[in-house]
Amino acid sequence: MSGRRTPVIPLSGRGRVLLIAVSVLGAASLAWPFVWHASSGAGQAHGGDAPFELLLLVPVLLGLCASEIARGRLDARGIAVLGILAACGTALRIPSPGVAGFEPMFFLLILAGRVYGAGFGFALGGLTMLTSAVVTGGVGPWLPFQMLAAGWVGAGAALLPAVGGRAERVLLAAYAAVACLIYGMVMNLWFWPFGAGGSTGISYIPGASAATNLQHFMIFDLSTSMGFDLPRSVINAVLILVLGAPVLAALRRSARRAAFGAAVRHPNGTESGGQNVATDAAPELRSEVTEPA
Amino acid sequence: MRRDNRPHGVAWWIWALGLAAGALRTTNPVLLLVLGTVAIMVAVARRSGAPWGGSIATFIRVALIVMALRVVLQVVFGQQIPGHVIVTLPSVPLPAWAEGVSIGGPVTVEGLLTALVGGLRLGVVLICFGAANSLASPREVLRSLPGALHEVAVAITVALCFAPEIIAAVLRVRSARRLRGRPTRGLAGLRGIAVPVLEDALEHSLQLASSMGARGFGRRPAVVAPRRERLAIVGVVVGSLMVLIGGYGMLASSSSVPAAAWVGILGAVMATGGVALSGRRSARTRYRPAPFGIRSLLCALSGWTAVVVMSVVASVAPGTITWSAYPLTWPSLPAGVLVGIAAGLLPLLVAPRPSAVRIGEPIGAMAVTS
Amino acid sequence: MIRFEDVSFRYGSDQWVLRDLDLSIEEGELVVIVGPTGSGKTTMLKMIDGLVPHFTGGEMLGDVVVDSRSIRGTSPIEMAETVGYVGQDPTATFVTDRVEDEVAYAMENLGVSPTAMRRRVEDALDLMSLHELRERPLRTLSGGQRQRVAIAAVLAASPRILVLDEPTSALDPGAAEEVLSSLTRLVHDVGMTVVVAEHRLERVLPFADQIVLLGPDARAISGSPRSIMEGSPLVPPIVDLGRVAGWDPLPVTVREARRRSGDLADRLSTVTPPSPSLITGEVIASVDDLSVTYGGPWVLHSVSLEVRAGSITALMGRNGSGKSTLLGALAGMIPADRGSVSVDRLDPSTLKATERISRVGLVPQDPGLLLYCQHVGVECTTADSEHHLAEGTTAAAVERITADLDHDRHPKDLSEGQRLSLALGVVLAAEPLLVLLDEPTRGLDYDAKRALCIELRRLAAEGRAVFLATHDVELVAMVADRAVVLAGGEVIADGIARDVVRHTPAFAPQVAKVLAPQSWLTAAEVATALSGVES
Repeated sequence: MSGRRTPVIPLSGRGRVLLIAVSVLGAASLAWPFVWHASSGAGQAHGGDAPFELLLLVPVLLGLCASEIARGRLDARGIAVLGILAACGTALRIPSPGVAGFEPMFFLLILAGRVYGAGFGFALGGLTMLTSAVVTGGVGPWLPFQMLAAGWVGAGAALLPAVGGRAERVLLAAYAAVACLIYGMVMNLWFWPFGAGGSTGISYIPGASAATNLQHFMIFDLSTSMGFDLPRSVINAVLILVLGAPVLAALRRSARRAAFGAAVRHPNGTESGGQNVATDAAPELRSEVTEPA
Repeated sequence: MRRDNRPHGVAWWIWALGLAAGALRTTNPVLLLVLGTVAIMVAVARRSGAPWGGSIATFIRVALIVMALRVVLQVVFGQQIPGHVIVTLPSVPLPAWAEGVSIGGPVTVEGLLTALVGGLRLGVVLICFGAANSLASPREVLRSLPGALHEVAVAITVALCFAPEIIAAVLRVRSARRLRGRPTRGLAGLRGIAVPVLEDALEHSLQLASSMGARGFGRRPAVVAPRRERLAIVGVVVGSLMVLIGGYGMLASSSSVPAAAWVGILGAVMATGGVALSGRRSARTRYRPAPFGIRSLLCALSGWTAVVVMSVVASVAPGTITWSAYPLTWPSLPAGVLVGIAAGLLPLLVAPRPSAVRIGEPIGAMAVTS
Repeated sequence: MIRFEDVSFRYGSDQWVLRDLDLSIEEGELVVIVGPTGSGKTTMLKMIDGLVPHFTGGEMLGDVVVDSRSIRGTSPIEMAETVGYVGQDPTATFVTDRVEDEVAYAMENLGVSPTAMRRRVEDALDLMSLHELRERPLRTLSGGQRQRVAIAAVLAASPRILVLDEPTSALDPGAAEEVLSSLTRLVHDVGMTVVVAEHRLERVLPFADQIVLLGPDARAISGSPRSIMEGSPLVPPIVDLGRVAGWDPLPVTVREARRRSGDLADRLSTVTPPSPSLITGEVIASVDDLSVTYGGPWVLHSVSLEVRAGSITALMGRNGSGKSTLLGALAGMIPADRGSVSVDRLDPSTLKATERISRVGLVPQDPGLLLYCQHVGVECTTADSEHHLAEGTTAAAVERITADLDHDRHPKDLSEGQRLSLALGVVLAAEPLLVLLDEPTRGLDYDAKRALCIELRRLAAEGRAVFLATHDVELVAMVADRAVVLAGGEVIADGIARDVVRHTPAFAPQVAKVLAPQSWLTAAEVATALSGVES
């Protein structure tokens, strides 16, 4: 089955460039405490606190870049599937929006990203977070980072090596466990320079070495959020093991029926030029001549 | 499409972000408290009866949690900076890998106050977001997105319309399972419910797609200019990179701030230009867009007076809008800034009192649970 | 306006769905496409818009020319101004959440100028009589209203052709009437070309200019309603009656039939129509002063009735009158706020699952909800093991209802009729005393409906009680011995089905309308009576 190997909505060259650009920008806007050895003088200019400006500007640009991925590549079918899977994810998230770490939406996101491809997975992750925030009236400063991190989770599933059957489920479950932990870390990372204040042993210290800041961050992460991150990670991994097979089957069945990049055959077609424009058929299918019985 | 003269949803967001910017500009606890009060007063008085109207309460709770978290972290991990010691907690030694970090030790008044005010600052920002959530209709904001974001906006609309249907589908499937006497709880129940609901939803997406296609979704103008498209993409990517570089530049040192700011601003202009350029691709028009009138404008601007006044005051008398616990002093009370913040109450005069529950605002019909 | 030129089509390399279809539809015609389920009606409709093959893929021979453009070179997106397509389930086609937005959606995509858009939205709302609803969220609308919104939403783009796939299948007779009269207004006042697929011929036949009959061999014939009805295996009761009475030409409307019914009424005057009395079997289920709210106003209000063994009871009423709620309460799914429900002298809502399903079985409106396995065969064996039955019991029950069920197919890929049969078989495997069916004829063609009737009668003959909620008056006329009418959650009529349906104009079957005041309900009854008279 070829559907198992190739994503249903492959990224175009342009999409790939954008996805990489968005990820680099996103990573840079998150990881600055480790990368940049700011002088303590600059830290003081921000009232002893981290730079909020970065937080305000970058998310907006991230959103714009992400929209470029959705544009053009996704037609009505892609948009409809995207919207409806985001609604499913939202429904999964509503009973427990992050409170107890029971966020089963990730399992759907990972499986959908696996089937539909990296660009789709990225868009789905972001969209699910956005929609659930709007539905619950919870649009906060954390939203752009949630969108980015969930987008990575969705895209990553598509980038895993191609295996089939049970091995695929085990692989995805393991990925889910790790990805959920990383998601939790990312959500801590953006908040940490502000949330921990400037004068504790686990704070971001402008001008300190990357190792020191990393150490501080790890302690912050372990001490504040393991209680949420671990259950989430376990739950999503278990869900993939239990529900993975039927859900993957349903997604693939639907992808086949939606016939993304559908091949239309007109074996005795009489038109010459106009036909190719409309049919968008794969070359090997177009050349295949089927005589009516 | 509103027939009343409430400010536009986007205006409420601009107003709230202005107040949030004000909160980030100052470290003076009195100014912060006043800012928070302004946001809460307007939100409570002018929120609609729609489901999202209750967001402000949730955000206030989150703000309190953030403040508490910061204080607790200060007490547990606080660094040994001299000050007025209230109590000395037993110090716990940490393993070698956490070298340099200590738990416990003396708790000082200065440390606690710094943490509290830092938390307050974050809390006020969150409250401003909560006010925007309570006041602005999401569908109105969604409909105002620029043309370049149209596809995304459609996907969001679909998701928002369909999320309640999913809940209904779950209930339907659950009762059907009970009809056959099958489990509706536990992993078996979850599997039995989740899979059919998902299958139906995917089925639904196919029908929706053909309906969208048959109604002209994705229509492009006859002439597509590939060069312009490429230019737009380059604008967005390079512009964003420049903003990032600018942001890092501002971090680097105080002296390079103006140059870095210029790089950032130029990048922002390029990115916006790129988006505008690619937005011209679609030939869409808009049906009865909600008007952004004078009331909306006043409302939006009133949120930003605080931060403007603060900037002016800061250049004249820098000490007034900042406050530090070292040494312990009372925060100052600059009258001009207080007036600037109070201008944020203007929506109370400009925006009409909302009517009771409005029908026709179906997005987010579910209870606020976050 | 629309020309099918030797069109054949199949999805992938499956069976041909359409073979050598050759027909033309003139401007301003109302064309009805008729055929058994799975005969390619939807495929044919979607071809007019180019949704097939552009959105589905597949292999197509020949060409469809719409408004002098070939669909091969034109995507559905470009067809939007020419063809308006309304799918089977209006709810599934809504992109926005409010009436007015939904109507404007297509024009926004097409880039219609705001002033023109404003005017056309008003026009579309007017044509479909939706003015009062313009601000309403779509979710709060009834089925008929939704269908009208879906039509208005494609009309606003001012297409020249309107294509509708079973627009009335989910509607009660009143709402169906609303939708159909809106359609005829479009044909007669606006001059629009309308193509409709419909199962219930009795509803659309009077309005049709041309009928396309799709046969089981994927081939089609077309012609005037009268000429097609001559040889059609699928006919509405009125045509059936015409055949029985030997009328030529055949009547296609109640009015025509009524005007010629004099001689038939004379021939029948010596025969007494069957006048059954209510069945007096033992009481299997009883509802006593039942009231249900879902935390709001009454959905059911002091409903009392008894269901007896061997009876087939039809529950009728408008959409939203509480029919499904009553069925749910009888099945023990919905708790009573006041009053009580008992099945086999026990309250079904307190029973354990295994005890309950051996007493009462409900086939919900969407029978697919009861099916969750990947294959038909697995579904049957699962039902067997669930109910501790001998292997093959369920399969046999299903076999009895429908013979040709491929056990390797996915339940979702079955036709409506097959899915209903499978769900009914699964429910019956537990041998329930009381069998409840919610809207069982939705999407069924006449053959499938007849098969269902036979099965229901057999169940009643076995001593079970059958209780079905339906809009389909012809089904009630064929099979029910008792009818209960609900309105606003209250029972407003309860009695012998013959009497109830004849005296409620909205629910009267066609034959009853033609032959009133004589109380004949179906053409089959008339045929039996005539053979008695003439021999």
